[in-house]
Amino acid sequence: MASAPPERVASPVLVPIVAVRRARLSERWFASLLILPAFLAIFLVIVFPLLYSLWMSFADVNLLRATGPALEVFGLRVPLFRYVGVQNYARLFADPLYWDSFWRTAYFVAAFVTETTVVGLGTALVLQERFAGRPLMRSLLLIPWSLSRVVVGLLWIGILDVEFGALNGLLYKLGLVDSYVSFFKHGFSALNVLVSVYMWNQAPFATLLFLAGMQSIPVELYMAAEADGAGYWQRFRYVTFPALRGILFLVLVVSTVNGFLMLDLIYILTMGGPGNETTTISWLGFQTAFQFFKFGPGTAILYTLTALCLILTVVYHKLVFRKLEAEQA
Amino acid sequence: MGPRSPLLSGEKARARGHPGALTRRANRTIVYALVALVALWLVGPFVWLFVTSVSYQRNLLARPLAFIPPEVTFDNYRMVLGMVRFHAEGQAAKILPSMLNSLIVAAAVTLVNLVIGTTAGYAYARFRVPLKTLSLFALLFTRMLPTVVLIPAYFLLFKALGLQNTLAGLVLAYCSFTLPFTVWIMKAYFETIPADLDKSALVDGCNRLQAYYRVVLPVSGPGLVAGGAFTFMLCWNEFIVAQVLNTKLGTTTLPPVIAGMNAQINIDYSVIAASGFLAALPAVILVLLFQKYMVQGLTAGSVKG
Repeated sequence: MASAPPERVASPVLVPIVAVRRARLSERWFASLLILPAFLAIFLVIVFPLLYSLWMSFADVNLLRATGPALEVFGLRVPLFRYVGVQNYARLFADPLYWDSFWRTAYFVAAFVTETTVVGLGTALVLQERFAGRPLMRSLLLIPWSLSRVVVGLLWIGILDVEFGALNGLLYKLGLVDSYVSFFKHGFSALNVLVSVYMWNQAPFATLLFLAGMQSIPVELYMAAEADGAGYWQRFRYVTFPALRGILFLVLVVSTVNGFLMLDLIYILTMGGPGNETTTISWLGFQTAFQFFKFGPGTAILYTLTALCLILTVVYHKLVFRKLEAEQA
Repeated sequence: MGPRSPLLSGEKARARGHPGALTRRANRTIVYALVALVALWLVGPFVWLFVTSVSYQRNLLARPLAFIPPEVTFDNYRMVLGMVRFHAEGQAAKILPSMLNSLIVAAAVTLVNLVIGTTAGYAYARFRVPLKTLSLFALLFTRMLPTVVLIPAYFLLFKALGLQNTLAGLVLAYCSFTLPFTVWIMKAYFETIPADLDKSALVDGCNRLQAYYRVVLPVSGPGLVAGGAFTFMLCWNEFIVAQVLNTKLGTTTLPPVIAGMNAQINIDYSVIAASGFLAALPAVILVLLFQKYMVQGLTAGSVKG
């Protein structure tokens, strides 16, 4: 370079500009430095495995064969297997079991989202009332949500089991049934039980979000509504509900994603059965990959799920950033 | 309408209750009935888990079922903790070591998250980061990603690295679903701390790094507690990844061991309930202890951009 770097020009006018520019540059560097470790970690534990799984969904993965094409980095040998193009996906989309699971997942998600939203909002409306022990109730709210899904499954077995379930005990005692009911015997019943058990675990979080939204509604709005003679339902319809629209949309998106991803409760409660009648896409993918050890078709199934999540992320992103812009305006 | 003034003063309305509340006195009964129903719904199943864990299986099988156990016993806990011999003691003997593994993994992941996740969250909250919008979107996507799609890759990569059936492998895998959350929660938290605090620290002669760890971090306790407790809870409760990756005896965490006991038909439910209650207790206590901060952190982290 022929010209001297601007920093060396000791013009009294330029100095402050240079100083500002330097400060900005160092700010950028500093910010990048702070972010670097997290991004390195995210690349190593998410991005790279995600790409590797994507590759597997286009490959004929034979876990027993040690030879074949491989990626050699830092003395590590990562097997690449034989590329087969879209074969895994083509077989998948021709498989009626996949489409059965797909529509079952659609039902599962629709039922789960509806139940979570209705119960979550209903619980929030109850907890928003004035009553003795309100702080305690808000603490109890977190209990179902803080449990491992293994424990959630276990405790609902204790309630629904055909031999010792407490709900069966209660129904029997009240004379509503002659013998204990087997809630997991029929596919549709088992699927709905899964929906409700998962809802029990997840709805409290929706309640938390709704409660946070309700607290930000100005009291004056309610006072004005009361002055106009609005009753409880009218106040809900014209004041509470419109103010919660943003939160409601958030709850819908988050519970849709959670519905698609649900896997551990199926493992504990039904293992996809009876038959395949509680097999969702995530369970089908898990089963194909880790019970039958077919990584190629398994990753292909799981990638269709990932694509759905990507679409939902775009929706969520639009929502969150639109809201952010609205706040800044 | 009840016999009350049409317009209450703001003070009075605040003192009387909460926005949108039911007001008439007759409605008090309805409110308490609904509260009782919600309480039963939220904790009833968990309380029943405890009741079954201190019962004998024969009393659970009795018809009609006694909801207040006729006999109370801690035998189930003694079996689970290896204090008495019984037919499935081999299964029960795995519980304490796997609990220790759970603790180690959850603590290590929490530490990693608090160090590198918090730093990144701070940078997002304060500075113009290169590719900010794009990387935030990527972060959001990784937050909503199905973890199970990564497991086949972990399976083969950990095999190549010799990390299969190790706790270190689990720590790495668990960062995949905790780190994006931590960055997001901490970003939302740091945005609530006024940037003037950092600026005045810079004026007082701190460099940027010192402003972060000497001035901003010490007042960020609530955010760190929220992020840390949430990470710990997620790791303590995780099941699928540990179930698939760590299959060798003594290398796995608590949830797969309990699921394994549940799959065996010769173990009484009351014994499994005892192990389930022990597994639930740490997470429940943690969440109840730090609930105030967790609620703040999580609602801010999911509502804000």
